[in-house]
Order: sequence, then C-alpha cells, then structure tokens
Amino acid sequence: MAGGIKDKVAIVGMGCTRFGERWDVGADGLMVEAFGEALADAGIESSRIEAAWVGNALDDINVGNSALPAAHALRLRGVPVTRVENMCATGTEALRGAAYAVASGAVDIALAIGVEKLKDTGYGGLPLRTKGLQNDLWMPYGSAPGTFAQLAGAYAARHGVDPADLKRAMAHVSWKSHQNGALSPKAHLRNRVDIDRIIAAPMIADPLGLFDCCGVSDGAACAIVTTPEIARAMGKADPVTIKAIQLSASSGWEMQFGEWDGASVPNTRTAATRAYAEAGIRDPRAELNLTEVHDCFSITELVIMEDLGLSDPGRAHADILDGRYDADGAIPCQIDGGLKCFGHPVGASGLRMAYEIYNQLQGRAGERQRAKADLGLTHNLGGSPFNSVAAVAILGRAN
Amino acid sequence: MPAYQPAYVTAIGGYLPLLRADRKQIARELAWSGLGMPRDGYRAVAAWDEDPVTMAVEAARCIVAADVPSALRFVSTSAYFTDRLQAGIVLDALALPRSLRTADAANSRRAATTTLLDALLAGSSEVIAAAEKRMTQAGSPAHLAYGDGAAAVRTGTVGGARLIGHGAISHDLVDRYASRDHPSPYAYEERFVRDTAVAEIMVPAVRMACAAAGIEPGKIARVAAAEPVSGCWKATAGKLGIAAANHCDTVSEKAGDLGSAHPLFGLGLALAEAAVGEIVLLVGFGNGADALLFEKCGEVAGTAGMASLLDEGVALANATRFLNLTGALDLDWGMRAEFEQKAQATVLERVGRDMIGFIGGRDSTGNVQFPKSAFPVNPALSGAEVLADVRLADLEASIVSITADRLNFSPDPPFDFGLVQFDNGARVLMEMVDRPQQGFCTGDRVRMRLRVKSLNPRLGFRTWFWKAAPLARPKLGDA
Repeated sequence: MAGGIKDKVAIVGMGCTRFGERWDVGADGLMVEAFGEALADAGIESSRIEAAWVGNALDDINVGNSALPAAHALRLRGVPVTRVENMCATGTEALRGAAYAVASGAVDIALAIGVEKLKDTGYGGLPLRTKGLQNDLWMPYGSAPGTFAQLAGAYAARHGVDPADLKRAMAHVSWKSHQNGALSPKAHLRNRVDIDRIIAAPMIADPLGLFDCCGVSDGAACAIVTTPEIARAMGKADPVTIKAIQLSASSGWEMQFGEWDGASVPNTRTAATRAYAEAGIRDPRAELNLTEVHDCFSITELVIMEDLGLSDPGRAHADILDGRYDADGAIPCQIDGGLKCFGHPVGASGLRMAYEIYNQLQGRAGERQRAKADLGLTHNLGGSPFNSVAAVAILGRAN
Repeated sequence: MPAYQPAYVTAIGGYLPLLRADRKQIARELAWSGLGMPRDGYRAVAAWDEDPVTMAVEAARCIVAADVPSALRFVSTSAYFTDRLQAGIVLDALALPRSLRTADAANSRRAATTTLLDALLAGSSEVIAAAEKRMTQAGSPAHLAYGDGAAAVRTGTVGGARLIGHGAISHDLVDRYASRDHPSPYAYEERFVRDTAVAEIMVPAVRMACAAAGIEPGKIARVAAAEPVSGCWKATAGKLGIAAANHCDTVSEKAGDLGSAHPLFGLGLALAEAAVGEIVLLVGFGNGADALLFEKCGEVAGTAGMASLLDEGVALANATRFLNLTGALDLDWGMRAEFEQKAQATVLERVGRDMIGFIGGRDSTGNVQFPKSAFPVNPALSGAEVLADVRLADLEASIVSITADRLNFSPDPPFDFGLVQFDNGARVLMEMVDRPQQGFCTGDRVRMRLRVKSLNPRLGFRTWFWKAAPLARPKLGDA
C-alpha cells in the first residue's frame, strides 16, 4: 500500500448549514451559508481557494449538473471546480478530491463542498431515478429503505438472532440518535422519541419502520483544506488533520456472484481496513474516540459497527443494547444525531459527519462535547448493501 | 366429406393469474346500484404486471420445450400494441429461434380457433398462444363475467387429437363490440343475441363440421364451446341432439370468459376427460363461429393439469383492490407515481433479447451470471472473455434477501424484491410476485415468471422482465 495522506492535509475551516426543510433557501443559498461559515472559521478570503470539489448526488433536484452551480453560487472566479457524485458517499468523495489535491502539492488551499436540495421534490423519501437504460430493463425499482431492510433478515439468519431482539436493537439505535440530535442546533429532527413508539411505528420496508429511517432534508456542508504547514502559518497551532480517507466500490460481486450472504457491507470492511492502515490504527476499539457513520437506516448502523470492527461478529445488537455506542458509551456513534436526525441531503452528509468530528476534536461541540476526542471516524455509504460505495475518513490532530 | 391430411392437436397449456374475485362478494358491494351482474363462481384477475404477452408466454412455455415449432401465433383481442408484433416478443421470451414464422391474430373472440384451424389445415407444427386481459367497466356484467387468462395449443402431424371435420360461418352479428373509441365491451340485449347466434351461426357451423366429418351430432361426446351469452350452447345442443356438457362452462364459472383463449382452455379440459375414440367438439364464437371436430386417439400433453389450474388461486379479500387491478378505480398515487421509465429502441436492440429471454452467461469456470459482461463477475477471473448463453427463465432459485417495500410506488403494494440465487451461480436482484399469505422469506425456493417490468402510459410503451414467484400455488380457499 502506498504511504497515504496521513497528516499531509489539514482542515482549517468548516461550515455546515442548519439541515432540514429549508423552504427559505435554494441550493445556492445553502452553499453560500456553509461556505461563509467555513471562510470565517479559516480566517481567509474566498480568493484564497485554488481548487474546489462540489459533491451533489441528485443534480436533477434543483441544483443542476456540473461544477457550475457551485462556481456561480460562490463566485469562484477562474477556479478549477469539479463536480463529484458517488451516490450517498458523495460528500466524502468531495473531501477526498480536495484533500488529494493538497496532498499532491497541486494546490495549497482547496475547498470541498456538498449540497443537496431534496425538499424541492415535493414528497418524502429519496426521489426515483433511472438506473441506466440497460439496467432499467431488469433491475427492480426498490426504495432506499427497501434495499437496506434486506440487511436485517440476512443478519438475523447469519447470526441466529431473533428478529424481535434485532428490532429492539435497531430501535435503540434510533432512540440513541434522537437523544443526541436533541442537543444539535443544526439538526433537522431535535425531538426525543421513546423506544415503544419507535417499535410501533408504521412499516416502511419490512422490518424498517418509520423511525428506523433517516430523515430527508436540505443542507450543505464544506471544508477548506490546506497543508499542516500553511495551517500553522494561518494561526492553527494544532490543526485538525486527515489521518486517512479510503473508498471502496462494488465490482458487482455482492449482487451478481453467489458468495455474499447479505448480512454485511463488504465495501465498508475494505475501506475501513485500508483507512486503519493508512492512519496507523491497530486497535480501532481502543484508539477511536467517536464515530459518525452512515446511519441511513437503523440496521445499517448496526451492521456498520461490525463492518468497522468495533463489535465482534454477531454482537453488534448486544453492544448497542448495552449502550456501547450511546453518547456516554465507550465509542459514541452519531453524537450529533447522525443522518437519523440531521436527515440526509445526500451530497452534504459526508462533510456534515466530518464537521462534527472536526468540532469535537477542537472542543467546540457544545453540549455534545466528548471529554476525550482525539481521533474520530466518518463512514459514508452510497448505494445499497449489495451495490455500494463506502468511504471511511479518519480525523485527528496534527501534534 | 373433405379429405383431411393428418393434423393433430399435440399439446395444450393453460395459464390463469393467481388472484380470483368472488363474484358474489363484488356483486354484493355493488348491490346498491341495482345493476344486474353474475353472482356465481370466480373471476381470474391479472396482477398489475400481467398482460396478454406474459400470460401467453406462461401458457405456451410448457408446450414448446420438447421441440421447436415452425410457427408461433399470438392471439388476443386485448393486446397492448397495435403496431408491434407481439408474437415476436413472445418468441424472444420463450427463447425460440427468430427464424420461426410469427403472426398476431386479433379483433375477434374466435381468432384463436380460426388460427388453430388454419394451422391444422396447413398440417404444420405450430404454437397458437391466446391470452386476454380485457378492459371492462365496473357495473357491467362483463366486469365480472370476463376473466384474465391464457391457453396455448400445439399442432403437429402426430398427436393425441386428430382433426376430423370443421365448419366455419362468418356472420357480422354485433352481439357486442369494443373499439378504439369504446375499449370496454358494448353489449346488446342477450335474448336477441342468443336467438340469432344459435339459429344463424352456431347450429349451422356445428352441422357443417359434422357433415365434413361424416358423423351425426349425437356422436359428439365432449364439447368446448365458447358462447356469446349463456344459454347459447344449451339451445344449440338441444337443436342438434347433443347431450355432452360444455367444458367452457367450467372455465366461465371458475375463471371467467377468457375471450379468445376461452375455447382453447375448454378444449384442454375436454380432451383431458375424453376417452380414446371419443369425438370432441371445439367451437369458437365471434362474428361468426368455427367448429372443429377431433377424435381423441391418445394422450394430449399438458391437458391433464389444466383442471387443477382452475382450482388454484387466492381470493381477493378487498373489492376495491379488484377495482384497482381491473382499472375501474383510478387512485391518486401521489408524486412518486410520476416517475417515468423510457425504454430506448437502441438499447432493446442490443440487449433486449437477453432481457426478455432471461439469458445470462457462463464463464470459463462454469459460473453463470446475469447480465452478461465482458469481464466476468467471478473474482477468480481477471481477464475479459465471451460468456456462453444460459437461460435462467426455466430454473428454480432461492431467496437470499427480501423486503416488502411500502415506500416506492407500486400499482399493487407492497413491492417485494430482493436477491435471488440460482443453483448455477447466477445471482440476480429481482422483483417477487404472487406474494404468499405469510410473505416471502429468506431461503424460499422460487420459479421465474414473465411479467411487465415497466409501464409508460404517456408514451404508450411497456417492457417485460422475469420475476420470482413461489414454486406452487395454493388451492382456492386454502390461502
């Protein structure tokens, strides 16, 4: 494996809009809001941005394709701007592009920004899109909860878990995130919900009920990255640095070859293994202080805990019920409320996760602040369990 | 008496949708209207994704397996396309060679018997597949009297039922009609239709067939006679001195009037019950009549299982679901239903045959995958190779993962889908159909059924693909 980018890239500024039903603002306004916060955080003018990556997954929903919507909204004059899209992993993909540009020495300061304006669809849930003209001839048009719901039955079958016990653990995932989200001023959903209500909620896709599903929101988040040396010159004495960014995409193996049992997301495992190696992490359970993972659905978070190596195989449901990933647990997960409470403006979510870790690492997380926050992980998952793009990023401090 | 060259019905297949509407239940729901409608028996109800093409394929697939016919005829008065050969679609779905002669027949309820007669008189090996999913209006007798279903007949020069006589009357009796401007049937008074049909069409046609065969009508032992309104066959039989019961009545009672497929389905029942040496009469009716006389000389493949098709099924518990499935209820499904799939002719030309034929590819290690690709999905292989065709449509498989999706639009929710594993290695993400009462479960064995994949009403187009269904169906009343 190549040496990677550990500590070669620092994050000097981040911004994140309030996520939610942002009837008040369009995609351009969301980007301006997040970008303004990031510039202020970094203490620089926008003219310092030398390159930008904009992540937007659903260009047909009121953003527009190409890099131009971002270039126009932020008036990035003459700047090479690149649009990236990797389904729900788009936000981390944008960060990866900007980080690699800095790490390569191509530019000194780069911007990663993700945005999505889902609430202009006019209905709940992610919009339906073509899967490509050939795939449309055979591939079912299941919803996102429909694809991830299938993890549950396969997980229960692999590990011999009673479906009722699994449902209870899934409910705890959502309960925990709602507890945390209540303390996040920028979260879409800030209400606490009791376990019984979660379990009794209307079914969306068996066995996922309403509260097993993340919200659908508008939002934008961004990061300004540079080298640690420039960061220090900018007055960031101990900047937040990127320890690793790894991404793994399906080759079609899960969906077309008869080996995978459907109870895990292999790309998460691959990306995590590479990220731990890049970051020099040998024991993630001992070294990671918190995680922000792709909890698009409660069962996804449960399975991710095993895919990241934080729970033993077949033990995630028990660890969850034991509170291991609660705010006061050993390795809090979604301490900001996660996708569950922020909602999932697709292109922005990966950067929203990084925003929380970034603030936690600097002791700026307010009521949610962890006493010890030296190393945090984000996990951003696009597609479906059987056809996915998984991105894992690890953030820490330079010194 | 004409000299018939040896011409036989060699096999018959039938297909009925899983769902059944209890006529009494539906009539009770509409009793407030005071409208008269049939109240006895059941009506077969096609699922949202079943149409004449899918049902014709299901009826024909068991009778094309043995050897390849020389021609394939698709018959329907309710076919979706008016300028696209549906026999060609059925041909590809059955993975038959494109060198077969193909044709569509339509515009008459007796189109199937006419086509069958032509095939027999030509002495050729043909498959005639008839299927109907006819539009009817709620409140009309046809809404409950009609049924959705299909039947297919194989002809050849050897077989179990030999053609010994025929008669055909062409008579433009407008007993009912459907047209582009009035796609549901417009029916005239039954008494007028019965009197005219019997006297002017049915009796002369049967007499003509008997004369051609050189037999007295009283020798007819089994009958499959489609009739425009009930009582026609009874009156015809009375005038001709035929005592045999009409097997089409059984189809009408248990599944409904299957239109062009109706007499063929009834013929299957009649031939199954006939003894060797007995004479069987087939009558197709529609602006005239065809009468065909067969002598049973052996077993006719496929007929033994047709009676059980009538007894299988699941009764619809909800009258509004019946109305929805038959197009009589136009629900507002919301914005999610606005999603539109547009199939491109160029893509269909490249891969359409593999799609509707459900043809995957076998790599050099023997593993099968769908769809085919230049680089095999098999991780043991790293280079590009040409995959050999493998048809998956006729194979069983197992469910790897499954959900019942209630979020995305489906015309008949929930939308069951998941990963399906074939024993030869192929794994495919598939829709599930014919949902069992307890739902689908991981590990369930499934079989493949052709269904409509996408509907595009705005552009007037649709595509088809295979979906996974339970291996067996329950008996009506068990589920």
